[in-house]
Parts: sequence; structure tokens; C-alpha cells
Amino acid sequence: MGSDVKPTETLDVRGEVCPYPDVKTQKKVKKMKSGETLEIILDYPLSAERIPRSVEKMGHEVLKTEKTGTGEWRILIKIK
Amino acid sequence: MTDTSLMLAGIVIGVIFGYVLQRGRFCMNSAFRDIILLKEYTLLKAVALAIVVQMIGFHLMATMGYIQLNPKSLYWGAMIFGGFAFGIGMVLAAGCASGTTYRVGEGMIGSFVALLGFMIGGLVTSGGALKELSTYLKSNTALTTTDLGISVGPLVKESSTSLTLANVFGLDPWILVVIIAVVVLAVLVWKRGGEGTKVEGTLYEKIFKMGWSWWITGIAVGIIGMITFWTFQNYALGISGGWFGFLNALITGKLPRLASGMLNWFTFLVIGVVVGAAIAAIIAGEFKLRAPDAKRLLQQFIGGVIMGIGAVIGTACNIGHILSGIPQLALASLLGGTFIVLGCWVTAYIMFMRG
Repeated sequence: MGSDVKPTETLDVRGEVCPYPDVKTQKKVKKMKSGETLEIILDYPLSAERIPRSVEKMGHEVLKTEKTGTGEWRILIKIK
Repeated sequence: MTDTSLMLAGIVIGVIFGYVLQRGRFCMNSAFRDIILLKEYTLLKAVALAIVVQMIGFHLMATMGYIQLNPKSLYWGAMIFGGFAFGIGMVLAAGCASGTTYRVGEGMIGSFVALLGFMIGGLVTSGGALKELSTYLKSNTALTTTDLGISVGPLVKESSTSLTLANVFGLDPWILVVIIAVVVLAVLVWKRGGEGTKVEGTLYEKIFKMGWSWWITGIAVGIIGMITFWTFQNYALGISGGWFGFLNALITGKLPRLASGMLNWFTFLVIGVVVGAAIAAIIAGEFKLRAPDAKRLLQQFIGGVIMGIGAVIGTACNIGHILSGIPQLALASLLGGTFIVLGCWVTAYIMFMRG
């Protein structure tokens, strides 16, 4: 799936500190339905590495993790 | 060593330490909190490996006569109270002493605000309004080798306050070192996976651009700790005393000094950590000035103050106790470290896991 595909929902947690990006992602993911996609925009390096790991452990699919700029990342998840 | 060489050595080791902390995202608040919150053990593995590397390293260096182990004095009431407070504070501050320090170098304004609170809380407790509480807890709960009727034993500095797990049980320290090292390393090898998809990259990218694996971070932190102990002789890595010395030096206009009169090299170490982390973040394209909202900033400030109070009462932060004290098998650090983790868990549960 390319970045041109519009995700079902977007979560912008730029500025947030440890562990809020992770906690907010988990809360959001639990509310979403199977087949939907979630885009997370963040600027906290540790969470950019930790969110894909924990989302995979929850059984969902990480479609993409990309560095979109200086200190900014975009993660795209598909809910299973 | 002269003041100048202590200063230079502190800054150089600090820059290297800061570089490694930023690349390895080495934060004990995350390491311990994530055990219960995210069931994530990557950073915990880095911390465990760093402790084991140093435990073997310190005891080897002591056996060869390069250093003498220098465990912190045990004040059980102060370690329990201070450790628990520090654990509460680091969750609110969103970073332990080392995590907060390296994130200042990444441009995180929230961590900068937490650091200001940390220094203020520390000075208020070491020489200000809360000094009595600290003195009370320490004077009434001190334990020494004389109280326990034991001898200090080999490898450790000859002082009645040098209590270790080895001398309390009358064991050769190497017996404990070997048992703990074998158990921890076996668990780490068994649980080595779980880092998710392997990321491809050239060697240059792996060193300078990408986050480091837990085992590289753990070994690197461990080696830096050994070099630090060997260089300065009085202790291995520490963060909190460095920052309290920094603010104190700004206020008094005098060079920061330890109780022994030695230049407080920890102050130059922590300045180096910020610089090293900034260098690492800039090279990796991760440096960015960023801030959370006002409510979160206030939370981080209060967390910093509580951490500062805890670090002074408990006589050390997560680095002084968990990273540098536990490898010396120091009883004070085992107790202080345990209560730092408990404070962290209770606070993380209340803040993130209820309901």
C-alpha cells in the first residue's frame, strides 16, 4: 500500500512525550475495526521503533514505517 | 588528577556516553515501565546486559588492583523513601535521570523543563527546606558493618559503610558474580529475539543513522561505565549529583566539588552527555525542538522536582544505584533500585492502566 492511499484514521501525536504516543496508539487500535488502516504521525524516536513492535505483538500488520522529515516519522497500520 | 584533567575527562566520557544513550534510547523509566505497560522488554535487556558487563568488569578490575569497589552507604529508610519517590517522579517526568538528560540533547523541551525541576528539587533537599527530612531519614536508619558484626571483605574499600551482598553473607564476591552473570546471560540469550523486522542498512547507517540493537547498547554502556570507574577511581557513572552540582555552581559562582574536595567531575560528565546526545541526534536527523502542551509540561516539571527530592534522599538516581551500584553488589543500591522500580510501577499503573 502506498502513501497515496488514504488511511481510515490519522493519529497525530507530535510533541507528546514517553509513553503517550504508544498508549494513545494502543487505545485507538482497540477501538478500530478489522480491515481499517491507521496512520500515526510522531516525533518521538523511541516510540517510532517501539510502536511497530508492539502493534505486531497485538497481531496487527505494520504496512509502513517511514521517516518523513527531521525527527518525524509516519507509521501505517492495518487492523487485523 | 588535576581539576583541568578531571574536567576534560568528564566531558569526553560524557560526550561518548550521551552519544550511546541517544542511539540506544537508553532510558530506565521506559525499561521498567514497559514491563507492565507495553509488555516490551527491549530496553530492559539493554539495562540487564550493561549491569552484567559492569559487574564482571568492576570485579575483574578490582581483582587486578585497578580499582576498589566503593558501594554507597546504606540508610534503609532513606533508600526506601527516596527510591520510591524517584520512581514516581520519573514516570511523571517521562524519563529517568539519564533519559531526561539525553532527551534534552534531542531538543525535547519537556525534558528540559523536567531537568530544571530535577535540579531545583535536588538543591531544596540537599541544602534547603527539605534538608531536615533527608537528615532525619539518614541518621535514624543507617546500617554499617559494625552494626552487623561483619568484615568488609576483599575487593571493597575498607570502610564500615561498605555493605555488599557478598560481605553480608560472608561470601567471596566472585561466587555471586558468576552465578548472577550466568543466570542473566542465559535468560538474555534465550530471549534475544523480539526486535521485530530486521532493518537493512550499510554499516555507516547502522552506526550513525539507525537506533542501536539492545545488545550493542548494553555492551557499550557497560564498557563506558568501566572506563569511568577506572578513570576517576571514586565511582562509576552518575547523573544526579552532576546536575545538582551544576545548578549549585551557577548560584555560588564556584567550581562544583564533591564532599572529599575532589572536583565534581559528574557535572562535566552530564554536560558532555547533552552535547553527545545532540551530536548523535543531529547526525541521525532526529534533532528537533519540540514541546508537549502546557498540562504535560507542568506534569514533567513536578515529576522532575519529585525525582530530585528522591535522588538526594535516596543518595542516587537510577544511574548511580541501578547502573553503577548494583554491579558492585552494593546493598544500598539493590534496595534503592528496587524501590525506584516499585515507584515506577505503581505510578504507571495509576496513570495509564486503570479502567
